[in-house]
Amino acid sequence: MDVLLKIATLEAAIRLSIPVALAALGALISERTGVLNLGLEGMMLSGAFAGYMANEVTGSPWVGLLAGIVVGCGFGALLALAVVTIRANQVVTGIAFTLLASSGTTYLFQLKYSIGQKPPRVDRLGMPPLVAMTLVCVFALWFLFQRTTIGLAMAATGESPEAADALGYRVVRLRWIAATLGGGLAGLGGAALTCGPLGLFIRDVTAGRGWVALALVVFAGWRPGMAVAGAFLFGLSDACQLRLQGTKTDIPYEVFLALPYVVTLAALVLRARASRTPSALAVPFVRGVH
Amino acid sequence: MVEANGTSLVEMRGIHRRFGDTHALRGVDLTLRAGEIHALLGSNGAGKTTLVRILAGLDRPDEGTVHVRHQLIERFDPKRLRTMGVALVQQHFTLVPTLTASENLVLARPDGWRRGPGRSESARLAQLIERTGLSVRDDVPAGRLSVGEQQRLELLRALDADARVLLLDEPTAVLTDQEAESLLSVCRALAAEGRALAFISHRLAEVFDGADRVTVLAEGREVVRDEPVANHTRSSLASAMIGHESSGTFTDRGGREGSRVDARLVLSGIEVGRLKSIDLSVAGGEIDGVAGVDGNGQSDLEAAVSARVEMKVGKVELDGVTLIPGNPRNRRDRGLAYIPSDRYQFGLVGSMDLSDNLDLGRVPRWRRSRTKRRAGRVDELTLWDVRTSGPGARASSLSGGNAQKLVLARELDGTPKAVLACYPTRGLDPGAADSVAARLVRCANEGAAVLWIGAELDELLAVADRIVVLAGGRLLGPFFPPYDRAAIGLAMAGESHEVTLR
Amino acid sequence: MNVVATDPPGTPAGGFMAGIGRRATSGGLVSQIVVPVAAVSAALVVGGILIALDGTNAFSAYREVLRAVFVGKRGLSDTATAATPLILVGLGYSIAYRARVFTIGGEGQYLIGAIAGTAWVTAGGIRTWPGFPLVLTGLIVAAIAGAAWSGIAGLLEVRFGANVVISSLMLVYVAGSVLQWAVRTGIRDPDSFVPNSRPLLAAQLPRLPGTNTHIGFAIAMALVPIAAVFMARHRGGFRVIATGFNPNALDANEISKKKVVLMVMLIAGALAGLAGMVETAGSTGRLGAAASVGFGFEAIIVAMVGRLHPIGVAVAALGLAGLTIGFESTQRVLDVPSTLVGVITALIVVFVVIGDALANRGREGR
Repeated sequence: MDVLLKIATLEAAIRLSIPVALAALGALISERTGVLNLGLEGMMLSGAFAGYMANEVTGSPWVGLLAGIVVGCGFGALLALAVVTIRANQVVTGIAFTLLASSGTTYLFQLKYSIGQKPPRVDRLGMPPLVAMTLVCVFALWFLFQRTTIGLAMAATGESPEAADALGYRVVRLRWIAATLGGGLAGLGGAALTCGPLGLFIRDVTAGRGWVALALVVFAGWRPGMAVAGAFLFGLSDACQLRLQGTKTDIPYEVFLALPYVVTLAALVLRARASRTPSALAVPFVRGVH
Repeated sequence: MVEANGTSLVEMRGIHRRFGDTHALRGVDLTLRAGEIHALLGSNGAGKTTLVRILAGLDRPDEGTVHVRHQLIERFDPKRLRTMGVALVQQHFTLVPTLTASENLVLARPDGWRRGPGRSESARLAQLIERTGLSVRDDVPAGRLSVGEQQRLELLRALDADARVLLLDEPTAVLTDQEAESLLSVCRALAAEGRALAFISHRLAEVFDGADRVTVLAEGREVVRDEPVANHTRSSLASAMIGHESSGTFTDRGGREGSRVDARLVLSGIEVGRLKSIDLSVAGGEIDGVAGVDGNGQSDLEAAVSARVEMKVGKVELDGVTLIPGNPRNRRDRGLAYIPSDRYQFGLVGSMDLSDNLDLGRVPRWRRSRTKRRAGRVDELTLWDVRTSGPGARASSLSGGNAQKLVLARELDGTPKAVLACYPTRGLDPGAADSVAARLVRCANEGAAVLWIGAELDELLAVADRIVVLAGGRLLGPFFPPYDRAAIGLAMAGESHEVTLR
Repeated sequence: MNVVATDPPGTPAGGFMAGIGRRATSGGLVSQIVVPVAAVSAALVVGGILIALDGTNAFSAYREVLRAVFVGKRGLSDTATAATPLILVGLGYSIAYRARVFTIGGEGQYLIGAIAGTAWVTAGGIRTWPGFPLVLTGLIVAAIAGAAWSGIAGLLEVRFGANVVISSLMLVYVAGSVLQWAVRTGIRDPDSFVPNSRPLLAAQLPRLPGTNTHIGFAIAMALVPIAAVFMARHRGGFRVIATGFNPNALDANEISKKKVVLMVMLIAGALAGLAGMVETAGSTGRLGAAASVGFGFEAIIVAMVGRLHPIGVAVAALGLAGLTIGFESTQRVLDVPSTLVGVITALIVVFVVIGDALANRGREGR
């Protein structure tokens, strides 16, 4: 019985960690290239919404995932336009994008389903394809950064755009690519939530998971494998919290609710000095001004 | 294609370059030949770096021609010059610090879109190391390599692209003696392979150890033009670098009127950054000049005396009271005026108006209205001859001379007991420089202890009662008037017998 | 990852946060007036198009918004009530952002202030105090608690270099957990079935005479000129502004920039904590599990649109509150979703940010 419970918790942990893991990978790719994506929560949320709607219309959760990716990519490209090309402030732009996605999805959802009307549950993907997809994404990111020249150039762009530029790489283009792909991954993470175990969209369904993903990237020291491991720890903590909520225990379940964030804070403090942060993160690139 | 030794690979003729009002290069020629090492000497701002940056395509000349391997360069573009075989190793490295040595190589010259496993990239580096004899570790990010290794990596990267012309901007400034020695032997080996090398240096010893020919620049002109090193002695190059007796535009120190107080500003045992146990006592009513080449601990000395940083060891005392590091208002209250080397970074807030800038460091708890604040500063600005549209103008709108006068107006207000002046005349036209110098001399005459860190030796010779030289983090001297220029010059070049660099 | 620039000359000041705030703080008619007005107009136009697409006449919708606020019963006092927490948190942000310290943790400080204040005024032995000292001490406790919570992020920044943006945000979620625990266990009303604190009763804020607004609005409005005077006439304000422009010059001549970072974090936290208690004691009457309604995030909009100036903050907060109140009525009368307000305000921020960047590029002549 005890073992079964543990397996159940573990399963829940994996289920809860997948959307966060995907979004964290999205944040990672754009941050490694120097674009801080504080719109991540919003991109996740819009991906979740698009995924749900597409799923509901077509009846296929796979189309839902695709819609999540497409909308996420679109949002990511908009972010690139604002912060890479127009060079708007990355922090404020990101926050504004999140606010826009949050209110936009709420508005569109309210348009479709007026208050009181119960939105239908959609077809759900099982765990195996979602887990496989996440693993593929981790491998893809590992491959990108370890085994391709463009990945190396991306990392160089996030670290020293002047050096990358001097070697003939197109800093602006690489950042566009990274922000767009990052948005796509975040959108996929959101869609994995609504087309995956939940099968539902509700207002602010991502509930801050995008922000957690951003923090996880810091925690992971910008390494894909560590980011997914961190996401799993988050999922585990979340699963414990959900399990404990119904039971009487010595430790209040809120401790587990807060735990991921406290751990992230600790990691932030420990990592801040380690200086793994891409040096050019959130710094707009202007040729000849450095 | 490898040219025979002695073939000229680079010909620069009549190069002029102006930056705004400054004329950095005034008709300079430079010839680099295969198989030769060419030393470029000169004091700060003589134009050496500008010259090599033009050759590397990072800057362009206003006038003059550049031929590389007999091809006229019309478009100055770093990529193009790199493909023509010109490589520049700059003072600040252009490596990506988080990537390993082999990854930095791959980034500069990838083999297609896919990278092999780490092993194959390391093998490529190993081959290059074997071919050149330059050793670099590949197990840590480039940022964690010693500066000597980073420099070797920069060289490796240049050689990987088969550079025929290697330009090194002060390659030894950041190296230990042993590293510098091994770099020079590598350079000799590279030259022997038929490459042309040019390096910028301040150290005379290396010129005699390593270079075949020498060019000395002073104020954008060649004072020694492409001569064999063998034709020179250390002192002949030292005096060429420092320049000849100037016309004496600077205020002479004249006779001190105020009473001389011993040991007003006392630095004892300061160790921070590059500084090694600095002791100095500046008397009230006296100007002590600190001569030396930038990068020998000047910025650390400035930070320590201005109490901007915590020191590992040592303290700064003013009239017997120790200044509290990290508390700028305490420094001001004790009576130490501070004229920073970079007035726009440490002296002024460019986006605020002049009256606000005059308040910096002495702003009262409650301030008057903006109109009254501004009105109250009009006389002060007139007194200090700050030429501006009024106290409401932004500090960033001031010219260099007027910005410096604004700093002086704030710092020298009242009667400072001591003044720390760091390159106070840098970037100013002669008139403004003269008036700034006159203000500082007046401070000394009124009894202040003035510590003047300077780059222009002529200026220090004119105003200082005593000169010390900061080289390699240590103070050499003191020298007293009448000054022996050659002796000071040798000390600046790290040639004094009293000191071994690092 | 320092918020305050420590970089050598030549590199963009601040690294991680380079360029932030400069746009919002540097003067000029374009940045101060034209950008926000244009952004608001553009957002309202987009909102109107959305309303029209939904099949409602946009003009009648906006007319209804104006009517609900200015003519409708309680419209103005509801607007004032809704604006109160936004003004308070927004004032704090506006001061912090002028020093280019980009805390976004107001929501957490708001909650901690509400929890601490509620815990104090509902504690045994204290809840029987008479109204005036109870209200006053409750507000003070809330402000101190909010400042302490914000101070954590400030301290992590100056001591360890942990980025304020992320750490202040993480503390929002920790504060959310504290709230869940507090209303479920810590300060739960033993007589209530749902997780709730005890009702505040005597600790509730009195109404302003002749209105339906609590005195929290008066407190917030009184703090507007105080903040303006602080920024314009007090040494602290001078230091905040100088830090935003050139922390190195401040550090070399006036005061350690770390102290300024801590100071603005404490001020922002105190104001947010105060807002939490004002809202609890003024509007909701007791603390519940749903106390987190996002004022801490909306106030970012208020600070940005208000151009980081206290008076601008008050105007922006009242405008945002008015839109919210107006659209609630529009939903009732014309069936236009009230959530459109969120879209419009988010668009305002997006347009302001982009407008600032474009204005800046124009100035640079690029």
